[in-house]
Amino acid sequence: MKNIVRDLRVERGWSQVELADRLEVSRQTIIAIETGRYDPSLPLAFAIARVFGKPIEGVFLNGK
Amino acid sequence: METIPAHQKKIFRQYVIELSSALALYAVVLTVAISVGEHMRSGIWRTLLLVSPMGPFMLMLLAIVRQFRRVDEYARMQILENIAISAAVTAGWTFTYGFLENAGFPRLTMFTVGPVMGILWGGVAILRGQMCR
Repeated sequence: MKNIVRDLRVERGWSQVELADRLEVSRQTIIAIETGRYDPSLPLAFAIARVFGKPIEGVFLNGK
Repeated sequence: METIPAHQKKIFRQYVIELSSALALYAVVLTVAISVGEHMRSGIWRTLLLVSPMGPFMLMLLAIVRQFRRVDEYARMQILENIAISAAVTAGWTFTYGFLENAGFPRLTMFTVGPVMGILWGGVAILRGQMCR
């Protein structure tokens, strides 16, 4: 699953630590999601979409 | 620049407090059990006293389980993978050493298995942590 988490984060001027803090996860989790090494669970994916104020399909895209 | 999220610092602090308290209690109970137990006659009370350090040991396990539930889903997955890898390597090591004992190597106590797996777990966690940076 592709995602544009990194683009959205950079757009807002947030660091990985700042995003991790907003989601209450570790920085390693953010790195793994941004690099596509880890696909988050549905609840975390919804939380990510929520902090960016976007629908889930606006952050996570179908396809490898 | 801050490299650790505040939430992570908070749950780690909680873990350190819980684990170190259980560890300190374990050390005290172990010391008492050994020093008093060696002067007691064999029997149920001596057996119970000598096995009593397992009480605080269970508290250490509880601290680890509580931390496991506090960390996020990716960290939990990483921890489980690290445990699986270290358990597999430990199993390989015990089998190998079992064959080496047949070849004349000195017999090792069962107590070595736990620390070996613990050290491997730590090593695997550090190694994989570095690789994921």
